[in-house]
Amino acid sequence: MKQWILLICLVLISVPALAGQQRLYIYNWTEYMPDEVLTAFQEKTGIKVIYATYDSNESMYAKVKLTRGKGYDVVFPSTYFVHKMRKEGLLSPIDQDALTNYRHLDPALLDQPYDPGNKYSIPYVWGSTALAYNNNQVAPEMMTSWKDLWRPEFKNRLVMNDDLREVLGIGLIINGFSVNETDPDRIQAAYESIQALMPNIRVFSGDSPKQPLLNLEAFAGMIWNGEAYMAAQEFPAIQYAYPEEGAIFWVDSMVIPTGAENKKQAHAFIDFILDPQIALQVCEYIGYAPANQSAIALMPEDIKNNPTIFPDPKEVKKGEFQTDVGDAILVYERYWERLKTGM
Amino acid sequence: MNERQGFKFIAIFLNMAWFASFVLIPGLMVVGISFMTRDTGTFFSPPLTLTQYRELLDPVYAKVLGTSLIYSLNTTLLCLCVSYPFAWILSQASKHRRPLLLMMVIIPFWTSSLIRTYALVILMKANGIINTLLLAPGIISEPVSLLYTDFAVYVGLVYSLLPFMILPLYAVMEKMDLRLLEAARDLGASEYQVFVHVVLPLSLPGVLAGCIMVFLPAMGLFYIPDLLGGAKTMLMGNFIKNQFLTAMNWPFGSAASVFLLMLMGLMIIIYFTFSRRFNRHQTL
Repeated sequence: MKQWILLICLVLISVPALAGQQRLYIYNWTEYMPDEVLTAFQEKTGIKVIYATYDSNESMYAKVKLTRGKGYDVVFPSTYFVHKMRKEGLLSPIDQDALTNYRHLDPALLDQPYDPGNKYSIPYVWGSTALAYNNNQVAPEMMTSWKDLWRPEFKNRLVMNDDLREVLGIGLIINGFSVNETDPDRIQAAYESIQALMPNIRVFSGDSPKQPLLNLEAFAGMIWNGEAYMAAQEFPAIQYAYPEEGAIFWVDSMVIPTGAENKKQAHAFIDFILDPQIALQVCEYIGYAPANQSAIALMPEDIKNNPTIFPDPKEVKKGEFQTDVGDAILVYERYWERLKTGM
Repeated sequence: MNERQGFKFIAIFLNMAWFASFVLIPGLMVVGISFMTRDTGTFFSPPLTLTQYRELLDPVYAKVLGTSLIYSLNTTLLCLCVSYPFAWILSQASKHRRPLLLMMVIIPFWTSSLIRTYALVILMKANGIINTLLLAPGIISEPVSLLYTDFAVYVGLVYSLLPFMILPLYAVMEKMDLRLLEAARDLGASEYQVFVHVVLPLSLPGVLAGCIMVFLPAMGLFYIPDLLGGAKTMLMGNFIKNQFLTAMNWPFGSAASVFLLMLMGLMIIIYFTFSRRFNRHQTL
C-alpha cells in the first residue's frame, strides 16, 4: 500500500498546479532584462511571468520553428531573424492600437525593410559590435580600425565573439566587402584573413565576451556595446571604440509567435516595456540603447552622452546591419570549421 | 503479494515507457533524419540519400573526430593515474573512515558541473586566486597563463569525470581477497611483483569499466573545452551543435551523431567481449 501512495504522490508532484492565474511565457537573451522589470510587471498586472533565456538567435529559432512558437508568448529575435520568421509565417500580427505607448518609439527604427509597417515586431533595443580594449595595456590610437586586431603586439591576447557571422564579417569588412556577402570567393578571402588572425586570438567567448577582458586574460577584441558598458561599470579601464571601417549594427525586437497562447497578456507586456520609465530602467541595466525616444529624454546627461550606448549618427551611417544570407550560411560554416580545426 | 507484483509491473512499465519515449524514439528519429536532405523550410525533407555519410569522409571531420578522441583518451589516462592510488587507499582504509572519504568524492557532484567549471575559471584566471597567491609573495613576477590553455581543459575534464573512475575501481578493490596478496608475499614475491601479478589483474575489470565510463562522457562534454580552453578547437560536440543550429543542416548533424553512436557502441562491445573473456579466465 505504501508503495502505491508513493507512486500517487510522484504523479501529483509532476502535474503542474492547475491554478487559474494568468500567465505569460517570455523567451529572451541572457542578461537582457532586469528582474525588477519583471517583478514590476507582475505586481502591476497580476500576470505571472515565466522567463526562459537563450544565447543565440539560432537556438531560439530552432525551438520556435519546431513548435510554431507554442509555449512562448514573447520572443526577442534580431533583425534578420524577424525577417526570416515573418516570411515563414512564425509570427502573429501585433495590434498597434492595443499598445498605448507605441508613440514613444523612435521613428528612425520603425518601418524597416525587415518588417514594413511593424506589423509583426516592435523594436526593443539596438546596439553594435565593435572594438574593445583595456587602456592600461593598449593606447587608444592602437585601436581605431578592425585591422588593428592583426597587430603582432596582440599575440594571444584577443577575445572574439564565438559567432561565425560576426568573426568572418570582420574578415569581409577589412577586404572591403559587405558583412552580408554570399559570394563564396569573397567569404574565402575573409576566411584567409581571419586565419592570419588566429595566433592573436586567446579566446572565443560564447556567453559573455566581457569576462576575458575583466579577467585580464585578453587586452582587446570585439565586443557588443552593452557588454562593454557593463564591463566599464565594473572596471573603467575597458574602453569601446568604433572602427573607422564601420561597426556591425543590429536591432532586437519583441515578437509574438503564431502559436502563442497568451496573446492578450503578450500585448500588455510589450506595452509595459514601451513605458519610457521602464525602457530607461532596462537601458541602465543592460547598456543597450532603447528604441524609445521618450526614454532617452528622461535619461541623465552622462548616459545620454555615453558614446558606447549612443554612437554618433555618423558612426551608424558608416556601419552595416546584418541580414539573412540564406544558404550561403553553409559556406560560412565550412570555413568556420576549417578555422577551428586549423586546416 | 498481488499488490507487490502490481507495483513491480508499474515500476518496470514506467521505466520502459520513459526509455522508449525519450531515448529510443528520438534515437530512431536521428537515424531517420540522417538519410534525409537538408531543407531550410522544414529542416529536412524526404529524398533519401547517403550524401551526409559521404561528406563525413572530408578530412576536416577526421580532424574534428581525431582531436575529440585525443582529448578523451588523455583525460581517461590522467583519471586512471590519479584514481588508481586513491581507490587503493580508499579500499584499504578502516571501515569507519571509508564513508567519510567516499563522501568527499561524491559531495562536489551535488553541484551542477557547469557551476563547478565556472569556479575553475575563478581559480585560474589571470587575476584569479592561484595567480594572486603566487604573485603576493613574489614567487612569480607576472601572472601565469592557466586559463584558455590545454592544461585548463584537462584540469576541468579530469575534475568532472574523476568519480566515474574512482567508484568502479573502488568496487573491485574492496572485494579483493587480501589473502591472495599475503600468499604472494609468503611465496617470496616482491611488492612490485605482488602489484603486477596479483593486484593489477584482479582490478582489471574495474579499470576497464572506469575507462569506458570516463572516455564516453569526455567526448560529449564540449562546454568544458569551450569555457576553459577558449573554444579555439572544434570537437564533435560543437560540430554537431553547429550543424543543427547555425548551418541548419539537420541531416548532416544527425549523420555525425549516428557515427559517434556507432563508435561508442563498438567500444562497449569490445568492453563486454573483454570482460566476458576475463571472467571465464578467472573461473578456470
